[in-house]
Amino acid sequence: MSAIELRGITKRYPPREPGLPQLELLRGIDLTVRRGEFVAVEGQSGSGKSTLLHLLGGLDRDFDGAARVLGCDLRAVTDAELAALRHTQIGFVFQSFNLLPALTALENVLLPDFFGDGVPDAERRALEALDRVGLSDKAGARPAGLSGGERQRTAIARALLARPPLLLADEPTGNLDASTGEGVIDLFRQLHREGMTLLIVTHEARVSHAASRVLVLREGVLGAEGAEAVETE
Amino acid sequence: MRIGKLIRLARGNLIRELGALAVSAGGVALGTGCLVFFLALGAGLQGVVNEVFPVSTREIEVVVPQLALGNLLGEQKIDDATVAKLRALRGVAAAYPKMQLRIPAVSRYNGLFFGREVRMGLEVLATGLMPELVGADARMPFEDQGEGQPIPVVANRRLLELYNKVFAPQRNLPHLTDSMLIGFQIPLELGRSFVTGRTLANPQETSMQLVGFSERATLAGVSMPLAAIQRINRKYGAEADTYSSVLVRAQSADDVTDVAGAVRKLGLEIDDAERRYAVQIGAAVELVTLALSLLAALITGLAAVNTMQAFYASVRERTREIGILRAVGATRGDVAAVVLAEAAATGLAGGVLGVLLARTAAALLDRLARTGLPDFPFKPPTFFSFQAEHLALGVGVALLAALLGALIPARAAARLDPARALSE
Repeated sequence: MSAIELRGITKRYPPREPGLPQLELLRGIDLTVRRGEFVAVEGQSGSGKSTLLHLLGGLDRDFDGAARVLGCDLRAVTDAELAALRHTQIGFVFQSFNLLPALTALENVLLPDFFGDGVPDAERRALEALDRVGLSDKAGARPAGLSGGERQRTAIARALLARPPLLLADEPTGNLDASTGEGVIDLFRQLHREGMTLLIVTHEARVSHAASRVLVLREGVLGAEGAEAVETE
Repeated sequence: MRIGKLIRLARGNLIRELGALAVSAGGVALGTGCLVFFLALGAGLQGVVNEVFPVSTREIEVVVPQLALGNLLGEQKIDDATVAKLRALRGVAAAYPKMQLRIPAVSRYNGLFFGREVRMGLEVLATGLMPELVGADARMPFEDQGEGQPIPVVANRRLLELYNKVFAPQRNLPHLTDSMLIGFQIPLELGRSFVTGRTLANPQETSMQLVGFSERATLAGVSMPLAAIQRINRKYGAEADTYSSVLVRAQSADDVTDVAGAVRKLGLEIDDAERRYAVQIGAAVELVTLALSLLAALITGLAAVNTMQAFYASVRERTREIGILRAVGATRGDVAAVVLAEAAATGLAGGVLGVLLARTAAALLDRLARTGLPDFPFKPPTFFSFQAEHLALGVGVALLAALLGALIPARAAARLDPARALSE
């Protein structure tokens, strides 16, 4: 059974000036990601990688085409059902870490527990997640007191709190130095081995090398699997 | 989203934006502080009015009409039969007849008066009351003991206040209290008058003994047991079978209008001069309180606008954070709830601060009044009456103002496109 299934996805933005044509960032994208796959989507800056990720996470529903994520038709469900999907089924990791500055690292990891029905045994899981990313000693620190790598690892711990089957990451190593980035990539490898489905958009080859499949997004078109896409395994 | 988690999430933002939100809370505090202050001042002044003009909502004073034709012909009168009719009226719980002393009487006092040598002569005006009406206000028996015995009297407490605040200071007389005066006897000469210079045949020297202070007592003189007044009037050949007025007590305040109507049908009149004064002054106090409260409401309204601006700015600054909340599973409602929880905390803080401001300002003004104003009659120890409902209203209004102010920003936050918010 597929974790992600996109058919003919097109995403348009209104023209920047009246009279100009609409901007098409994604053009008729078809994509199937099987459960347990580790897929990297490469592309230049502005190629629509983040847009694709937002769309997959149900953060943007203004598109044409059909999209199913973990069996959920993204255009058919209600806003609250999408929120529940993001809460329990999808973990997000962003390039710019996106931690809440007013909360401690532990509280940031616990953030999904604040919503919906919460997360079972959240406190213990949060501490475990922090331990897993090597930050058990930083639980009480606020983001301002953490390094870039530590912030990203905190963000990953947050994404893992609800133990979602799908992890979506947007340039997760983009703001990290080489060794810190390697640590993050290793963590993704571990998660993949544990059966998690990962879809990571990146422009870094070191991330792509860790993936089981690499796709290329160029001018809004995703390279066809096995043709334009570059298989690494 | 559970309330504890909501508070936990809002707390962090509140601490971070303490400066901006303190300004909002300050505005709300100013508005609600003014509101609570003016309400307490209004209630305090109303209390003073009630003290000066004590009005029972269940009682009316029934008198003979001043200009009734029957009265001129001597037909309109209040006798025992009329009192019985009044008692029988629907909605009447009790009726207490009163009778004035209808002969002249004076009091001459020469001697020590609480440490001061005093020589004075006073015309005595007296009204007879039924002992049941005075009740527990009399600390000693309020019954006619018969001729040759001191006549028990009760005085109106307002007379004591006027004596202490006006009469005594002007004449360098001692300040008096209830306990000093109760049991005190002064001479009484029945059948004599200083005003007319007339002396009735067989004048009698006796005495009055003050047995208590009561709001039931007349303001013009003293009140004696009704039986004593009847005995004295009868002895000197004055009318002793008709009453000056009757105090009618209704079964409930709601019955008063019907009872008053029935009384008028009997050809009698209601003497409500004191009630009218109280109502007019009370209405004036209420009107001023209302005007000042509206001013306070306007300030609170402006504070709500200020809160709206502050929360708009906060939502704009936190656009990306709102995107994060949506990404980890927050619904639109959750986002709005977080903003509203912050507003509620701001309003609550503003409300509590406002109440404290109002109480502090009131304490300062009371202190100023104590030291800066002369000691006039009925000068209250405080001009304010802070009632629990005023405080609750103050905090409630503050909460409401902050929530209303934050409503539109909260809606805007909830409607943010999460994808765009994350791209900010």
